[in-house]
Amino acid sequence: MSRDPGLLANLRDLPKNVWRSLFRNPLPSSDLGRSQTSFANFFLHIHPVKTHVHSLRPTYTFGLGVIAFSLFIILAASGILLMFYYVPSVEQAHDRMLDLSGTVAFGVLLRNMHRWAAHGMVAIVLLHMARVFFTGSYKAPREFNWVIGIVLLLLTFFASFTGYLLPWDQLAYWAITVGTAIAAYAPGVGELMRFVLLGDRIVGQEALIRFYVLHVAVLPAIITILVGVHFWRIRKDGGLSRPASADLPEAQPAFPEAVEGKLEGLAARSKLQKKKSFGVLGMVRGPFNKVGNTPDNTVYSWPHLFAAELFCFALTVLVILVVAMVFNAPLEAPADPTHPPNPSKAPWYFLGLQEMVSYSAFWGGVGIPTLFVLGLLLVPYLDRGNKGVGEWFSRHRLLANTLFVLFLLVNLVLIVIGTFFRGPNWSLVTPW
Amino acid sequence: MTTMDSGIADRTISRRRLLSLTSFLGLLGASGVVVWSNLLFFKPRVTYGEPSRFRIGAPDAFPLGTRLPLGRQRVTIVRNENGLAAISNTCTHLGCVVATNEIGFACPCHGSRFDPDGTVLGGPAPRPLPWYQLSLSPSGEIEVDTSAEVAQGSYLKV
Repeated sequence: MSRDPGLLANLRDLPKNVWRSLFRNPLPSSDLGRSQTSFANFFLHIHPVKTHVHSLRPTYTFGLGVIAFSLFIILAASGILLMFYYVPSVEQAHDRMLDLSGTVAFGVLLRNMHRWAAHGMVAIVLLHMARVFFTGSYKAPREFNWVIGIVLLLLTFFASFTGYLLPWDQLAYWAITVGTAIAAYAPGVGELMRFVLLGDRIVGQEALIRFYVLHVAVLPAIITILVGVHFWRIRKDGGLSRPASADLPEAQPAFPEAVEGKLEGLAARSKLQKKKSFGVLGMVRGPFNKVGNTPDNTVYSWPHLFAAELFCFALTVLVILVVAMVFNAPLEAPADPTHPPNPSKAPWYFLGLQEMVSYSAFWGGVGIPTLFVLGLLLVPYLDRGNKGVGEWFSRHRLLANTLFVLFLLVNLVLIVIGTFFRGPNWSLVTPW
Repeated sequence: MTTMDSGIADRTISRRRLLSLTSFLGLLGASGVVVWSNLLFFKPRVTYGEPSRFRIGAPDAFPLGTRLPLGRQRVTIVRNENGLAAISNTCTHLGCVVATNEIGFACPCHGSRFDPDGTVLGGPAPRPLPWYQLSLSPSGEIEVDTSAEVAQGSYLKV
């Protein structure tokens, strides 16, 4: 039993002891320490201890997933701050927007950051989806993570759409009027869906409070949970996709005789696990001791992965900050339910939809979008070949990639037409 | 076991299995009730917005030739030699408010055009503008009911 050093000595050591209880591991200088840093830290332990070098190549992922998550963090932080001043009432909402510029320090900057990060998140999530497709990363065993990703894409659209109404200006009011009218074309349940979403027959106070609750509580909570599952599954599915050539040749098992003999079960399991990244516990147990060699071509996540993630986050914050200082988020005249502006346009990511709706309300607004979403959800279950995984625009995936490029191009062209080439009465105009 | 016995045994079910099956069905039913009641919760019986029945004043307030759009209620009151009518101002395409003009109605959002009776002349609108039921209230005022659609050309004789 050690002797109590005494109150004075404890007081003297207080800062040191508090620090040590907070950060159980000093900055690591050994491999064990580097593993412990990932293992013992709540915020880092969703990461693997070791990361494959191929996953860290900037030109493979362009950091798009991390950037999307960084934008989500920016949105959550700036959104919570904006909530302190915002009132979801048709009488007050627009005035509160104006007050942000006059009576609140950094109010405009925060609103700008929130707006541009929201547009940015929609764009980056789409690019992230394109990256995953063009590298064939939705193939087994990552099919379900692709499905979660598509659900997150739809939730991102919905979160952005619900936020669009909150400033209660003309742009917001008519974009939501048009957007929810598109939903009403769904056969059978369309009208009911629109009524439940708006809480009334037209966009008004009921719609504002419903969109507010969805935007600040329901959707962020669902997105947070699904993002957690999305990250967790990356590890459980064996890390990011990579071509077989990215792995070093297999190392010999530590006890070759065990493979043929009595430990067949273990050997089979170890073979199964070969493609997964190993945690420290996995490395030090069993006869297939991997400590001391790196046959799987990995590096420690501390510092390599964490530095890359920090870089992406810092870069995202910097870009959003600069954009928010240069460009003001638009704010039009207060919503006037009797006078729609000409033309009335939905948010840019729904303008492709609106363009299609101007040809056929049902097919453009409901039929084709439903087919698009179903197609995206089913992609990993319809395209099951395992060639060309882990490399950009693989020769083996020429057909799939061509189809996806066409899919993106069609949507892009429709959005560009809807954004720049549609004027009053939705007639074709030239933007120059 | 004889063949007869096994025939009975095929149809018997163990107590444990029966209990777990009924418990499972009970839980399923309870979850169904929870989901259903939540759906009902989100569909208000009465809304705080504009009422669907409202009075617009005595018939004398609308002389022959009137085409008066009411902004808040989103209807246009029409008076001609046939009588009075209320035509919806909400575009049947995507819910924008149509403007009244010399040809009839025009939607600024996506360019749908309607004749003075609300029949589609052009643009993406899939249906004509609906007509609403008018009645004369005991107080002598015109009452519009936007929850009751009537056929095009149904005028209230006054």
